[in-house]
Amino acid sequence: MSNLNINMKNLRRALLSWDTFLLVIILLEVLIFGLINPKFWRIGLLLNSIDDFLIIGVVALSMTFVIITGGIDISAGSMIGLSSVVTGLLWQVYGMNIWLAAFFAILSGILCGMLNGFLVSYLDIQAMVVTLGTSFLFSGIALVLMRFAGVSAYEGISGFPQSFKSLMSGHIIPGLPNSIFILIILVLISLVLLSKSKYGRYVILTGINQNAAIYSGINTRIIKMSAYMLVGMSSAFSGILLSSYLNSSRSDFGAETTLSIITAVVLGGTLITGGKGSVIGTLLATFVLGFMKFGLQMARVPTQYTNIPTGVLLIIASLIGALSGNSYFRSRLKLVFNRPKKSVNNFEKKL
Amino acid sequence: MNILKSVIYKREATVSFFLIGIFILVGIVNPDFLTLTSIDLISQNSILYIFLATGMTFVLLTGNIDVSVGGILGLCGAIIATLVRDGANPIFSLLLVLLLGSLFGLINGLGVAIAGIPSIIMTLGTLGILRGMIVVYTGGKWVENLPDYFKNPSSQMLFDALNVYMLITLLIIIPLQIYISKSKRGRYFSAVGDNYNGAVLVGIPVKKITILSFVLSGLFAALAGSVYASQIGFIMNSTGVGIEMIAIASCVLGGVSLSGGIGSVAGASLGAVIMTTITSALVYLKVDASWNNAISGMLLITIVVSDVLIHRYTAERAKKIRLAAHVENMEIGQ
Repeated sequence: MSNLNINMKNLRRALLSWDTFLLVIILLEVLIFGLINPKFWRIGLLLNSIDDFLIIGVVALSMTFVIITGGIDISAGSMIGLSSVVTGLLWQVYGMNIWLAAFFAILSGILCGMLNGFLVSYLDIQAMVVTLGTSFLFSGIALVLMRFAGVSAYEGISGFPQSFKSLMSGHIIPGLPNSIFILIILVLISLVLLSKSKYGRYVILTGINQNAAIYSGINTRIIKMSAYMLVGMSSAFSGILLSSYLNSSRSDFGAETTLSIITAVVLGGTLITGGKGSVIGTLLATFVLGFMKFGLQMARVPTQYTNIPTGVLLIIASLIGALSGNSYFRSRLKLVFNRPKKSVNNFEKKL
Repeated sequence: MNILKSVIYKREATVSFFLIGIFILVGIVNPDFLTLTSIDLISQNSILYIFLATGMTFVLLTGNIDVSVGGILGLCGAIIATLVRDGANPIFSLLLVLLLGSLFGLINGLGVAIAGIPSIIMTLGTLGILRGMIVVYTGGKWVENLPDYFKNPSSQMLFDALNVYMLITLLIIIPLQIYISKSKRGRYFSAVGDNYNGAVLVGIPVKKITILSFVLSGLFAALAGSVYASQIGFIMNSTGVGIEMIAIASCVLGGVSLSGGIGSVAGASLGAVIMTTITSALVYLKVDASWNNAISGMLLITIVVSDVLIHRYTAERAKKIRLAAHVENMEIGQ
């Protein structure tokens, strides 16, 4: 009997969880946008739409780690642009193999992340300040590199070889775009890293209580720095994907993605103050945002308008999150859903 | 001597020395930089950022952040430009726009203070909504062909040296600085950011102060939007994109702490002037404009890092001196 009770409790908790809520939103989106434009129900089209928001998902997954440690990285967008420029320049101006160039771009991303992480964790400067400064720095370096190589910042570099372009546009398995595989692999890696590895536990403990983590012998400085390096690496990867997808590299690529990335992480249920977060939540939130954008495009709403529902969604989601964490509101909610016995009620009144 | 010491240790002083240093160094390379025209140009360009940084200071002091100011600037700029273009009274339009800006700020403030949403999330959301609303409002077109009587005041000079807008800016900034550093209510902002729970216990209306800070931020963003429309003469969809980052950077340069409690309007305004000075100094140094961001970023990081290190060093030295005095006392006691 008690066993059944616990199971019921678990079931109820699962049904009321944030992830379920996000899943319901995704289903609602598919339903509503499908009713507006039946093309939205074509599986192939939906799968292809992943291409559009893959770059946000890739960075959001690793941003989850940084936000769990209690930090934030708003230089991700600039690192995307920088890695795109590094790839393009090494390939075109220095005649390097495109994959070797991509490797160096990822290396540059890791270095950028290392600088962020060093300043945040070893010098104890606020993450927001550091990454604000480095976001100027990285986008500036990207622009300077472009100018240095004599490439116009407006036109950028284009005309990548076919093999590089097929990174995004190709199909390893006919009918399934590569972006799905990239996303699945990255989600699996992040999932294992966060929930199944010692490293992930350390990250979460650092976010919950840094002093406790230090006293239990965790080198929190390295843990924090590594999280920023992770964002640097995935931003660089994202920049390469974007260059491949758009077949060009420009310094301002990714400039507007930072807000979407943080929105995805927060909408996914990761606490902005750190200590709690989930990879699956971030993934689902990425789909919520991506489908929203795609669906509105299919409904012939101009792309620039899509910011409005995204913002509304972010506020509503955090409103629900904030209110459910609010003890007063929660006690009210409990009163509505399962009316307590009279004696308890009287006791509360007395309080 | 003590007064001198306390002045030197003030962040505003460091920033002013830094500003003077930039002027001297760039002036040596290119004397044209020290002429009245160039200084006047810098002061005109900085008005926009001074307003944004001033509003932002109040929010940062309470320990929050407002990234929606770019959106408020864009939308309010577009609204005042459209109204004036269609022949409305500029004073009336300005008041309307300021009211709207305060309203947006009020929404941010209610979300943060009453609903308890983290400020960065709340304002990120409103930024998205405002950016979309600009496109809806303007229909994706530029707002241009503004009448001359709206554009001219921005270049009007008093005594051949002082821009009218700069005079208005000074008239707004100086009382605000006195208000925030000397008045009882002005100190509440720092108190809320320094120690929230302590402020609650002392009886400070914490929620009201938080809401007020966001309202002020919105108000100043709207004012900056009006200045933008008047100075530049047209409003695009992308007006004000990323400007919130420059406003925050100005505050950080001027010594406003992002964790709240520390900072002043004067410091933030000086930070804003430095940000514009760098841009125009690069022009006078004949450095390519593409270096702009890289140098701003490098400077921001250098100043913040050195500030943190110097503070830590002085704090540790003070601790050591205290410890040494303590040990000495003990020895004497023996």
